[in-house]
Formats: sequence, C-alpha cells, structure tokens
Amino acid sequence: MKRVFVLLSVLALAVATVFALAQSGKKITVVMIPKLVGIDYFNATQKGAEEAAKELGNVTLRYVGPTEASAAKQIELIENAIQAKVDVISVAANDPKALAPALQKARDAGIKVVTWDADADSRDVFTNQATFTGIGEALIDSMVDQIGKDGPAAIITSDLTAPNQNSWIAAMKDKIAKAYPNFKIVDTKAPGEDQQKAFQAAQDLMKAYPDLKGIFALSSVAFPGAADAVKQAGKSGKVAVVGLSTPKQMAPFVKDGTVRDVVLWNPIDLGYLSIYAARAAVDGTLKEGAKIKAGRLGEYTVTKDKLSLQILLGKPFIFNKSNIDNFNF
Amino acid sequence: MSAKPTKPGFNVPWSEVVLVTGLIIAVLYMNSLSPAFLSPSNFFQITRISAEIGLIALGMTLVIITGGIDLSVGSILGLSGIVMGFLYTAGLNIWLAALIGVAAGALCGLINGQLITRAGIPPLIVTLATLAIFRGLALGISQARSFGNYPKEFLALGAGYAGPIPTQLIVFVVLVIAVGLILAQSTLGRFIYAIGNNATAARFSGVPVNRVLVLVYTLSGALAGLAGVIFTARVSSARSDAGMGNELDAITAVVLGGASIAGGSGSIVGTLLGLLLVGVVRNGLTLAFIPAEQQAIIIGLILLVAVLLNQVIRLRTGRG
Amino acid sequence: MYVDRGRELSIIFFLVLLGVVLAVFAPGFYNPKNASDILVNISYITIAAIGMTAVIITAQIDISVGAILAACSTVAGLSAKAGVPIPLVFLYSIGTGAAIGLINGLLVAYARIPSIIVTLGTLTVIRGVIILLTGGTWIYDLPANFRAVGTGNTLGLPNPVWLMLATLLAGAFVFSHTRWGRSLYAVGSNPAAARLAGINVERTYVSVFVLVGALVGLATMAFATRFTTVQSNTGQGFEFLVITAVVVGGTNIFGGSGTAFGSFLGALLVGVTGTALTFLHASAYWEQALQGLFILLAVALDAARRRGALDFGWATRLFRRAA
Repeated sequence: MKRVFVLLSVLALAVATVFALAQSGKKITVVMIPKLVGIDYFNATQKGAEEAAKELGNVTLRYVGPTEASAAKQIELIENAIQAKVDVISVAANDPKALAPALQKARDAGIKVVTWDADADSRDVFTNQATFTGIGEALIDSMVDQIGKDGPAAIITSDLTAPNQNSWIAAMKDKIAKAYPNFKIVDTKAPGEDQQKAFQAAQDLMKAYPDLKGIFALSSVAFPGAADAVKQAGKSGKVAVVGLSTPKQMAPFVKDGTVRDVVLWNPIDLGYLSIYAARAAVDGTLKEGAKIKAGRLGEYTVTKDKLSLQILLGKPFIFNKSNIDNFNF
Repeated sequence: MSAKPTKPGFNVPWSEVVLVTGLIIAVLYMNSLSPAFLSPSNFFQITRISAEIGLIALGMTLVIITGGIDLSVGSILGLSGIVMGFLYTAGLNIWLAALIGVAAGALCGLINGQLITRAGIPPLIVTLATLAIFRGLALGISQARSFGNYPKEFLALGAGYAGPIPTQLIVFVVLVIAVGLILAQSTLGRFIYAIGNNATAARFSGVPVNRVLVLVYTLSGALAGLAGVIFTARVSSARSDAGMGNELDAITAVVLGGASIAGGSGSIVGTLLGLLLVGVVRNGLTLAFIPAEQQAIIIGLILLVAVLLNQVIRLRTGRG
Repeated sequence: MYVDRGRELSIIFFLVLLGVVLAVFAPGFYNPKNASDILVNISYITIAAIGMTAVIITAQIDISVGAILAACSTVAGLSAKAGVPIPLVFLYSIGTGAAIGLINGLLVAYARIPSIIVTLGTLTVIRGVIILLTGGTWIYDLPANFRAVGTGNTLGLPNPVWLMLATLLAGAFVFSHTRWGRSLYAVGSNPAAARLAGINVERTYVSVFVLVGALVGLATMAFATRFTTVQSNTGQGFEFLVITAVVVGGTNIFGGSGTAFGSFLGALLVGVTGTALTFLHASAYWEQALQGLFILLAVALDAARRRGALDFGWATRLFRRAA
C-alpha cells in the first residue's frame, strides 16, 4: 500500500514536472518599458535584461520606452502591448497610480506584470532594487558622517512629481526626525533631468545659503551637476555632496575628493533579475517564500508585500574611492 | 468665403486626398507588420488613446484657422485635471468638480484671448508665457501630489465602454460634429475663416474680430480642460505634469490635416484624418515593437512629406 | 529699418525693478561671483538667441534649436574624445549646426513649407537619429582641453562670456551695418517689396537658418564644455528659452524688427529670474508659475508702453543723446 502511494506520488510529481517543464520551455515575449530611453541608467538596465534573455534562450525581449519620462506614453505602450498579446509586461513606472488601470487590464487579459525600478499599484511582482528606507538612511548617514548632526543641507531632486525621489525624501525626513532632530534641510530644488539646470541649482543654493554644508543630489543627472558646481566654486571639502548616480559619471569627483560616497544599486543586475522574475512569473514558480534562481546572481527569496509579491535585489551599494573603478556603467 | 483649395468638379480638398491615400498605405503596411493590427478592438484602442489629443486638436484647428496658435493647451490639460482632483479630494461632488475643471480650462483660454486682443500681444508669445504659468499653477496647487480614488462611475468616462465603443469616443464624436457644424455652417465659422484670411478686412466688414478671437481661445481652453478631465478618468489619477508636449502633437495633427499655419484654411475633417494617420502609424509601429526614437523619425518624416506634397499640389493647381 | 529702443528700455526698467526687490530682500545677490555665474549660465542662450533674432526678424521661426544643440554636443564630445584638436572641434560643431540649418532653410525657402512645421518635423527627426546612432549612451571622460573651453578664464573673464560678447558685438554690427543685415528687416517687413528691391528672398531665408544652426554649434562650445558628461538627450526645452529671450527682447514675432542687444537683455531676464527666486527663498513648487509670470509681465509692460499707458519718452531721449 505504502509502495503504491509512493509510486503514485512519484508519478504525480513527474507529471507535474513535465507539465512545468513544458510551460517553462515555452518561448515567451517580454515587453520591457523603462521610464525613458536615451539616458545611461536605463541603457545599463537594458544591458542586464538582454544578458538574462540570452542566457535563458526562451525569452524574446522587446525593450521599448518613451523618449521623455511620461506616464501617458507608457500607458500607450502598455495598451498596445495588450493588443499584441505579449506574455509579460515589465515596467519602471513613471506614475504608480496612473499606470495601474492599464496594468490591471493587462493582468485581466492573462498577461503577467512585473514592475522594476519604480513600482506601480497593480502588478504580479515588484523587482525592488533597494528599499526606500535603506536608501534614505544610507544618504542621511553618509551626510551626517561628513558634515555633522546639524546640517544645514539642501536637496536637489529630479522633478517634484518623481515618485522614487519623493519616497527617498520622505524616508530621509523620517530618519532625520528619528535620529538627528536638529538637522536642517533649508531648500529643495527640482531641475528635472537636466544637467545645466541641476548645475545652476547647486550654484544658486551655495550662494543663497552661504552657510550651506551639504547637498543631497537625488538623480543620476543632478549628482554630477551638483558635484561639478561645488568643485568649480572651489568648495570641494567644504560642501559635501551625497546622492545617487552611476559610478562611471561620478568617478572623477570621487577621485578628486569632491564626493566621498555614491549610493546606488547595480542597474545591470536589476535588469537581469527582472527578466528572471518575468520568466518565473510565467512558469508559475513565484510564490511567497519560494526561492527563484537568477543565473549568475544566485538565489532570491520571494516575499509578500502590501500589493502582491516582491523580490529584493539587495542592500544599497556604496561606491567610494576604494571600489569605484571596478564598475563599468 | 470658401477657404479650402478645391479641385474643380470635386468638392474634396487635395490635402485630404493625399491624407486618405497615406492612411490606406499606412493601414496596409501596418497590417503586414503585425497580425494584431487589423481588429476592431485595436481600432477602438487607437481612438481611445487619440481622443484627448483629438479634443485639443479641435480647438487648435479653430485657433490656427484664425491665424493664431495656442501653445498652452498641454498645460491647461494638466491644470484642469489638478483643479478637479483638488476639489474632489477636498470633498466636492465629482461631477461638479469635473465641471469646474472644464470651466477652469475655459477660464485659462479666456485669459489667453484677453491678453491677445486687449493687450495686443501676439498669440505665440502669450501662450508661450501661459504655458509656463498654467503648468506652474498646476504644480503649485497640487504641491506635486497626485489626486486619485475617484468613484467608478466617473472613471467610466475614461475607461468605460458602451458595447465595444469607448466612452470618450462618443464624447469626442459629439464634439467633432458640434465644432464641425460651427465651422462649416454658422456665421461664427465664416467669421473665423474671415479673420484668418485678413483680420483688418474682416474688421472693416463688420466682423467683431476681438470677440470672435476671445471665443475661439476660450473654446480651445475648454476643450483642453475636458481633455484633462477625460485623461484623469482614463488613468485614474490627476498629476501636474499631465499633457506635457500635447500641444505639439495637436499642431502636428492639424497641420497634417491641411490647415495653413498662416491662417484662413483648414477643416475638421482634415484634422480628423491627420489625427487618425498619426494614431495608426504610432499604434502599428508600437505593435511591431519599433522603438520610440525610430517612431519619432518616421512621424517627423511623414509630417514633412505630407506638407511638401500639399505644397506641390497647391502650386501646381494654382498655376493650372 | 526701424529699431524699437523702447522695448529694450522696458526690460531694463523691469530688471531694475527686480534688482530693487533683490537689494531689499536678498542683498547677498549682489556679488561679483554671482554676476559672473549668471553671465556664464546665459552665454549659450544668448549666442543661440542672436541667431534666432535673425530668423525672427525675417518673420520665420526655428523650434529645432534644442535638437541641434544635442546633435552638436554629441559631435563635439565624440570628436574631442577622439583627440581632434580644439579649433577643429569648434569647426565640426559649428559645421554640424550649419548643415542642419541648411536643410531647414532649403525646406523653408524652396519647398515653401512654413518654418514652424519644417522645424517641428526636423526636431523630432534629429532627436530620433541621435538616439539611433549613439544608442542613447552618454559621453564621459571628456578631455581636459575640451573642458577648459567652458570652465577656463581668459583675461579674468570666463571663456563662455567671451564667446557671448564676441557674438553679441558681431551680431549688433552685422544686423545694422551690413547690406545682408539690413536685407533681413526688409524681407521680414515685406517680402514682396524686398524682392522688388532686388533682394534674393529665398537666399536670405536659407542664410538665416544656416546662421542660427551655426550659432547653436558655437553655443555648444559654451555649453557642452562646461560639464563632465554629454547627454544624448540634452537641450530639452532649449527652444523655449531661446525664443522667449528673443521675443521678450523686443524682436517682433511677425518680423521686421529686433536687435541683438535686446535679445541679450531677454536672455538676461530669463537667466536672472531662476537665480533671483532662489535668493528670495521662493518655494520650488511655485517657481515655474512665477517665472512664467515674470515673462508675461515684462511683455505686458512693453505692450502697455506701446499703447501710451507708460511713457519712456524721457529715457528714449536720454538713450538717443548717449548713442
């Protein structure tokens, strides 16, 4: 009796495996939509995604994005992808709420939705590069370590409506309220994704607030712009700049001492992981607590969050003098 | 008073013949690119996404026929959405809030019109400045927050269907007919063409030029406001940066439709064809996963070639 | 040729007003470093605006200058990185701009397509082509001699300011003291009459588009050289800044009038407002609305003056006596 049971279970398992294999062998089309094309950060995520798709061999990757960071254009791409009956829509959302109805429609049509880089209110799984709290705390800790517990510092963000930046700012303010109540943020500037405007914003801030000791620069464009303004004003070492950007852009400023820490994650790995997440979403292996294999990155545990499931790439990475030359993006 | 260049014997303007031909070629080509292209659901999909730009383009057609231009419509779209979202979040009834959103758009247009006629500042300059001001107001009022959580019956305005037909298509068609009738049949329509052909002559022949201009810009603002409300319903949230760059999309459709930027000519049918051509090309290329930057090149070239063809035909028929 | 000095006085009046407000609420605004920063920041706008002035005097417009700036920046950045000597980099950048301007000009002059449509078309095409060719990647590790053009000083003045001053003087001279310059005003006020007077109208149109393209190429050398990276999508909204500077500076959008100096004042107004608002601690949320309002006020002030509501007669007389 026992033997029959074992035999039966083995058989069932084999059938299930074959079925799963049949599913996972199926060639799928993934539409991957960055916030915009033409900026280096999203070129790096594309590189990672292409690498993963090639490794898997059964994923056709279509990397298409708007030429400006517009939620409306992304919605148009999503709606068209539904018409084209793709298997997975993978998106870095320009607006979590605005994209939700279109993404919900995709899921109703049986398409799996993966978000990455910036989350949306409707999805099957979010490939999270680093928690907002993690980034916010890393930024504040680095700044306090460089200029002390009182500030004063100013913030240069991207656009005032940018959701990731707003969440980081909220996390930073939480950390300040908890740990450094005397730390003063004197002003916030929003030059958009424009290096000339970011540069000018940093220049203006240093002159309008002569006792300014630090600048947080929260976009990959604002950070080099602000660092350059500090350097050209001859204030390297007097005004600390901390922010998020890619190592290749920041390397010159880290080496000359204008910038000590660059906070970021590896965007190539983020693109890479989100393709493995897309594959797992179609294969049906995404469940709370499940471990998914992501090629060279190893194993990741799927966790449950407020909306659905989440995979966390890791802790934010700090680039500094000792390691910045090892990264080529 | 007929301002449309017509071929003797037919009452169809050449520019529209060119457009329809282009449209047929585009449809055939897109169909060969992607099997998903030629389906009723995809057709309604195109109209759903084009409806907001379409509403703006209706107003823009009138403005361009008068010889003016309205660069502020994209910002008005954003501001109207924010006004509506702000009031709804503050507790106002959703339909009342939506109505005030449209009215805010009309008010913006009224301000444009008054600055153009009373202060005598050219439309391009007025709307260049109000483009920044209206967008800035949207940002300031919203403090960069987005407003959401609308009731289902409101969201149906942007995401609902009557059978297979999207709600906003019905709204759009009604307005197309209304604006089309005004332009082609009414005294106001004749005034609009007259101002575009020669404002001074129109003034001397008794056309209330300033009042007509103010009305046209107000209408353009109201239509952009309505587009803002529909856009908000479609994406279920109002954001201050909604509609950014829409003015250029609308101008592209109107000019593709054969309107002369110098004023005096243009038609609603032409604008519709222009809209449809851009919508079909964009949709077809997206279905075939052609990247956005290549789409931009193609649409830019279509615009140049279409206008060039019109120009050649106009010169030929003018000589013959 | 009619030159409206009144418009220039209107802007100066407006700038003085703003200056008084700043002196009261933010005296820190007045220091040599800030003045020099502002001049550097508006130099690339002014250089392009002088080209745009010529275009608008002939009653045309060019909304592709932002895309041209991106194209020239890419060409300049890539060639500098490839080790091309700096004078040649200047030439390549200016040549790229002039070549694109030539295409615009030919389409406007000989295909008779309205310039706003031509440049709307070329603007989308150029931006697409740049991303297509570069794959959207940015240019890093720009050589030191390239960056020295934008960040270095000569005789105590930053290099971009020299480039701006040279262009401004050349523009002011060419517009009012050469045959070609005067023909612009003639073509702009009445093309048919200009033709009867023996001016080749088509060639004039082509020449102004080539000029604005070439000057955007020069502006690139006062722009791309100032930063550590060349972005492939740079210059978004540059056309709005440049056109605003020109029309605020008194150039009639319907053609026939305008000066290089007025466009410089317009660029100054555009450049000062952002910095001024930071010094006045204005909330970032309202900054854009206030900037737009400033521009509208400056234009409305001038409209009021033209209608006789404001009298600058005394100042005009003073100006004439001085000149």
